[in-house]
Amino acid sequence: MRADGPGAGAVAVVTAEALTRGRGCGVTAQVRHLTGRALRLQVLDPHLLLFSLLDPLLMLVVFSQVFAGLGHAPGFPEGVRYVDYLLPGLLVTTAIQAGLQTSSGLVEEMREGIVTRFRTLPIRMGSVLVAHSLAALVRGVLRLAVLLVLAAAVFGYRPGGGAAGALAAAGLSLTLGWSLGWIFIALACRLGRPESLQAASGLVMFPLMFASTAFTPLEGLPAWLRVAAGLNPMSHGIDAARALSLGRPAGAGALLAVVVALAVAALSGPLAARSLRRRGG
Amino acid sequence: MTMGDTMIEVVGLAKRFGPLTALRDVHLSVPRGTVLGLLGHNGAGKSTLVNVLATLTRPSEGTARVAGFDVAAQAHQVRRRIGVAGQYATVDERMTGRRNLLLLARLLGAGRGAATAKTRLLLERFDLTAVADRPVRTYSGGTRRRLDLAASMVGDPEVVFLDEPTTGLDPVSRMTMWRLVREIAGNGATVLLTTQYLEEADTLADAIVVLSRGRVVGSGTPAQLKARVGRRTITVGLGPGADPVVALAALRRAGLDPSCDLTRRVVTVAGARPRDLTRVVRALDDAAIEPDELTMTEPGLDEVYLSLTCAPTGPVPERWPS
Repeated sequence: MRADGPGAGAVAVVTAEALTRGRGCGVTAQVRHLTGRALRLQVLDPHLLLFSLLDPLLMLVVFSQVFAGLGHAPGFPEGVRYVDYLLPGLLVTTAIQAGLQTSSGLVEEMREGIVTRFRTLPIRMGSVLVAHSLAALVRGVLRLAVLLVLAAAVFGYRPGGGAAGALAAAGLSLTLGWSLGWIFIALACRLGRPESLQAASGLVMFPLMFASTAFTPLEGLPAWLRVAAGLNPMSHGIDAARALSLGRPAGAGALLAVVVALAVAALSGPLAARSLRRRGG
Repeated sequence: MTMGDTMIEVVGLAKRFGPLTALRDVHLSVPRGTVLGLLGHNGAGKSTLVNVLATLTRPSEGTARVAGFDVAAQAHQVRRRIGVAGQYATVDERMTGRRNLLLLARLLGAGRGAATAKTRLLLERFDLTAVADRPVRTYSGGTRRRLDLAASMVGDPEVVFLDEPTTGLDPVSRMTMWRLVREIAGNGATVLLTTQYLEEADTLADAIVVLSRGRVVGSGTPAQLKARVGRRTITVGLGPGADPVVALAALRRAGLDPSCDLTRRVVTVAGARPRDLTRVVRALDDAAIEPDELTMTEPGLDEVYLSLTCAPTGPVPERWPS
């Protein structure tokens, strides 16, 4: 092999052309650029947007009509209509589903190869993931807005806490949804296959959603499920969101739910970034 | 850094995936400005080696340095200096070509203006301007590969890894890729490209390393390698009017060692040198035989493999019926 050659004359050319080499950009800028991209692809895509907005509507119709009888279940709070009781549960589960959808988008990207490109760049994998989670948050905001407006306009949602209470419940739901969404992001990075992710997410999502107080009070559940629902961090979040929307003191429950959810995020986030970085073995 | 320093240095590299050994005891040294062709069949370990050097995979043993930095311990420094284009285009299918390049430029630290300028330059240079504002998923295979190559050049890398850049492309796209790779090398980048085609390595590379089953089995300039192989085959196809037996006898008289496939009406001379072609033509002419077809094929990857694994220091060669 030669030690000189075309390289000799080309150094000057390379330097003159080098607009960007060796610089990279800071973490904030990374997150900003990648979030812009994720929003464009995952939130502004017309089909995806339509379906992600129709989905909460469907849940609202199904649960408010099918399960309306639960309004007479034992332990159901006096003087509360079922739709007012139900909505905070829907807010929390809808917010969490936004995270689930985003993790599917992430797996898709991992298969397409753009993530491989990112892994060869001087950027942090965490930036890629935070960008996804922020896009999920924006999607969550849109979904909850649709849910609240429809519930108020069509289903006569008039919680005791008024608009402020409903917004506080939505804010709490988004915090929980964003934080717990990191579980699905971590699963996506770890599993890397859409089929596995779907199976695993279902396994996580289903009990979180149904073994909880989302749709019925604790007292309305069989004994064993009551124990499970009592341990479910989502129950605490949903109870707190419900209390906020009904204008009752949310107190320690809200704090506990937020702390647990943020702890989950703090634990899952680095694991996710690590898995994504190590995908090649 | 000064001229002539080593841009890729690999010492005793091994990579295992569970029970599978993808690379073993690989040593490599590539000076600045060189185009190194990494030649090998599917599964020889080419992609694994590129992945290790591009910081996508961590080595199990040994060390690898790219542009002076260790790929395991100083991966971030390596990533600031490399460009990677793969067999599978690593661009975003749903975005346009322009958006892909813009995003990469911004992530690599270019401001809005600089990123726009750089993107325009690359789109022109890689002949992508016409399709720049279409989503990548509408691109043809060759166009996608060109975008991938452009994407790898956004950061003006010092070292460029091209993993089978022309596999699966039609001949015209392949020629275009060759021209672009030559341009990249001409601008001073050090290039490591993997290929299954001896012809491609011969055309583009200053030096060739042959990988087989995770091991380096040979290296040298294309000329050295071909001289070592030296096995060309002359093939004479005979029409219905010509008798293969007569042709066979004529070639024997000319001092060659032909063999014959009577059913396909083909006479071949294995292990031929270029000047044997004249002797074949003369012998056939003397015997008044007009061939339908007359070709001399260059040694292929199989011949290179065979020759290299037959070398006295190498492992015992595998033989197969010819």
